[in-house]
Formats: sequence, structure tokens, C-alpha cells
Amino acid sequence: MTDQIREQVSALLDGELPRDEIGLLVRRMERDPDLRGSFGRYSLIGETLRAPGGRTAHPSFAARVSAAIDAPGEAAAAQDVPAIAASHAFWKRPAFATAVAASFALLAVILVRPFASEDAAIVVANTAATLTVSPLAGAISPTPAQSQRLAGYLVAHSQFSSPMARRSVWSGLLAADPGLQRASYEIQEAP
Amino acid sequence: MSAAISVKRSSAWVLAVVLAVAARTASASPEEAKQWLERMSESLATRNYIGLFTHSTPTQSESMRIVHRVEDGHSLERLVSLDGSGREIIRTREEVHAYLPDRRVVLVEPRSDDGSLLKALPTPGAKLDTFYDLEVRKGSKLLGRDVQVVDIRPRDRYRYGYRIWLDEKTAMPLRSIVANGAGVPVEQISFTSLELQKKIPDKDVEPSVDATGFQWIRTGRKLGPPPQPMANANGWRPLRLPPGFRLVASRFQLLPGSPVPAQHLIFSDGMAAISVFIEPGHASGPAPPESSSMGSANAYSTSIQGHVITAVGEVPADTIREVAISVAPVDAPGAPSASGAPDR
Repeated sequence: MTDQIREQVSALLDGELPRDEIGLLVRRMERDPDLRGSFGRYSLIGETLRAPGGRTAHPSFAARVSAAIDAPGEAAAAQDVPAIAASHAFWKRPAFATAVAASFALLAVILVRPFASEDAAIVVANTAATLTVSPLAGAISPTPAQSQRLAGYLVAHSQFSSPMARRSVWSGLLAADPGLQRASYEIQEAP
Repeated sequence: MSAAISVKRSSAWVLAVVLAVAARTASASPEEAKQWLERMSESLATRNYIGLFTHSTPTQSESMRIVHRVEDGHSLERLVSLDGSGREIIRTREEVHAYLPDRRVVLVEPRSDDGSLLKALPTPGAKLDTFYDLEVRKGSKLLGRDVQVVDIRPRDRYRYGYRIWLDEKTAMPLRSIVANGAGVPVEQISFTSLELQKKIPDKDVEPSVDATGFQWIRTGRKLGPPPQPMANANGWRPLRLPPGFRLVASRFQLLPGSPVPAQHLIFSDGMAAISVFIEPGHASGPAPPESSSMGSANAYSTSIQGHVITAVGEVPADTIREVAISVAPVDAPGAPSASGAPDR
């Protein structure tokens, strides 16, 4: 992936990529698995770091990452870093700077948790439970026939979902084959 | 003395006014949240837009591209996975096509939002705050835009909670989180770019998949009166539903792998929808119960009285299971009790 492409990805994540370039970049993404992977990682990293309340590295960690990047010997040892460092304007892009720093953080610490703790505040207003159900069996990979049937159910169901829920159902369908659980349940009345 | 009374009266008036204003402000919040949700629904249905977003669950994250075009009052939609599988879904004027190149399959389903079925689409209705606590507040900027954050908290454990970040100017959702009854997020959609456009070219709503040689499965062919095996299917109903869910549509349709049409019942509480499919059982006997999960959507299949019952919906897995196992032919003698009686 060239610096120019990286810069475009960064600009896209910052909402600064011109409209006509978005289409080109997306078409390139459809063809290039490395680019897709990078885009996914950058957006996830940016999302994780932007999310309030998420776990973060020690304050000194960013300084150590900067020092490691600035160290000439180490920069030369890494394949991508010299090219990145050569593009000063590129470094100014906040999303990319954040993404690279976070890539190091990912290796060392943490933290790919798509959801931040503050987001967990969406709790039920009334927590009275009437039933608890414990699935006992593990997930298995669906057969093609099962997968096809599930896809059929989802497409049929999505016709009656709200636009936002439809997007969610479709995304789930496109993302991967759902895992199946052979269900064996114990039903317990809550106290 | 009279001066003291006058001061007391003034204080009482001030207090009354403050309380009245406070009460009004508090009660206005759910209404305001409902208005934002209605604006969001309208924007999603009527605007042309192209966006890139990340769809995350606790176990995976995928990038997607969405294109939405409105043409003569009809919406066309295309959702493309950028994970390399080549999967995409296109909603044309007449049909929904799900391209699954890894399976060499295209699922085709007629669009249902015509005529009376249009009313079946869940919209935030007047009674939404009966089952959810609603709140709206100013949020931090997203994608450089001012946002309002709407919280939709369920009042019981039968449904999910939502937090939605809306662009103040257009009411388009820029980010959304779905959380389960314990408050743990189960799904998140975050836009990394969103462009509202006056016109969207045809090529952006056309499939990029070459489906030559693929198997085309028409899953929802429109059917006439139900054939014999499902003659009494009109009487099948879930006996247990979460409060607020009501039947909004019912139809017969074919599903992949089955030559006999299934009855499809759709229930909604105005925010989430649950589908229940009732099919004649397989000749090989009842299949063991199965559950599956896809982001915020859950599915559960079981066998009841020689029929395969499958419930699907954007509600917690326990709710889906409860609904599925409670399905019974309500007119038949010996119908199961509210707790259901799945075949073993």
C-alpha cells in the first residue's frame, strides 16, 4: 500500500476525502484485500480510541511509541515506517497518527474492544426478570443448507424491519455465516 | 405580617413556576426524542446517500458500503460487504436480491412495502414510550457534525436498548449501539463517511457481482390460497409475546429448501420486529432445536406438533426462544400451554 493510498484512507476516516476520490478508493478496496484490512483496522482503532470510557494505555506509553518511531535505527528496521515518516503532511492527519500509535498499542497492550464502557450505560429501565434461560450446547458451523435457510429467514424478516434494523439485519447477514447452537435449555424461574 | 405573607406567596409562586417548568422540561424530553426518531425515519426513507460504516459485534468487525437512492417515491438500496466475500444485497423497486458469491447463490424476495404491507414497517409510534424510556441530549461532534444523542431504554428484559447519534441538521444516524438487557452492547454501527447527494448514478445501485451460473432462489414468491398442508395455519399463533408486540402482517411464502409455503407472521412494538415462520415438518422427523445469532438479530427453530417453527427478530435470544416455543395451533384441541411444548 503506497503512502498516497494510506493518506486517502486517513482522509476518508477524517471525513476529508473529496467525493470523487471516495468512489475510486472504495472500488480499489473491493479489489485489494490488504487495503480492506487496513481500512478495517484503522477505523476500528480510531473508533476504540475515540470512544469515551474505553481502556487506555498508560500516559507514558504514547511517549514511548513516539520515541520508538523517532529512533533512526528502529525506523530503518521497520519496513513501512521510513516511508510513512517521510511524508510530513501525512503525519499531520489526526486519524492516521492515531491509528499508527494505536497499532503499537494494540501489539503491546490491549484493547480491541469495539464497545466502550460508557456505552454499557444503556440499561433496562426496570430490571425485573421473569425467566432465565441457560443454553447448554456449544456453537457449531452451519451446513450450507442451514446457512441458506437462515439467510432466507433473515431476508424475509428484514422486509418488515425499520430502515435502521434492516441495515443491521443485512449487515449481520453479509458479515459472516451465523453460528448455530444446538439448543438444550434449562428454564429457571427467577426469584 | 402582611409583608411576610406576601413574600411567602411570592416564593410559593416562584416555586410553582419552577416546578411547572421543570415538569414540562422533563416530560418534553420523551416527546422530543420521539420527534427526533420520526425525523430519522423520514430521512432514512427519503434521502439519497452513500456511506461507509463499520458493523461491529463483540466478536467481529466488518466494513460495509451503503447506497440509498430515492426514485419516484421508491427507495433503492445497496449494501456491500468490503470483507472480500463479494456479498451484497440490493433492494430494487420490485425485489430484494442477496448475492452470496461464496455460496454461488442469489436469494430473491419480492418487496413487501407495497399497499397495505407498507403499514407493517415499524415506526416509532405514539405508544413507544410505554415500553421504552426515551431521552435526547446534545452530544459531541461526529464526522465534523453536531449531533443529538437519543437513548431508548427498554422497560423490561424482552427487548433491546438503543443509543443513536443523529446529525442535528439532517437527523441521519451517524452511529448506533444496540445493548442487551444487562446494558452490554451487542452491536454497533459507526459511519466513517456519509455523503448526502442530490443524484446517485445508476452504477452505484447495480450489483458488482457476476452471478452467471449462480443458483437463483426465489424465497418469497407471492402465493394464492395456502395448499392443504397449511390449511389450518391461519390458526397458528405465539401464545406468549412481550407486552406491546402486536401482529402487523401475515402472509404465505416459500423459503429456501422447502417446496411447501410457510406462514409468516410479523409482530412489532414500534421499534423492533419479530417474524414467526410456521412450516410443515420434515419427513425425517423433528429436527433438534437450534438457535443462532447475527449481531442484534436472533433466530430460534424448534418442532411443534409436526411443524417447524422459527422465530427471528431484533430482540434478545431468550425473547425469541420464548416466542418460538409458545407457538401453537390455537383452534386445535390440546394446544400447548403458554410455556409451549416442543417436540423432543
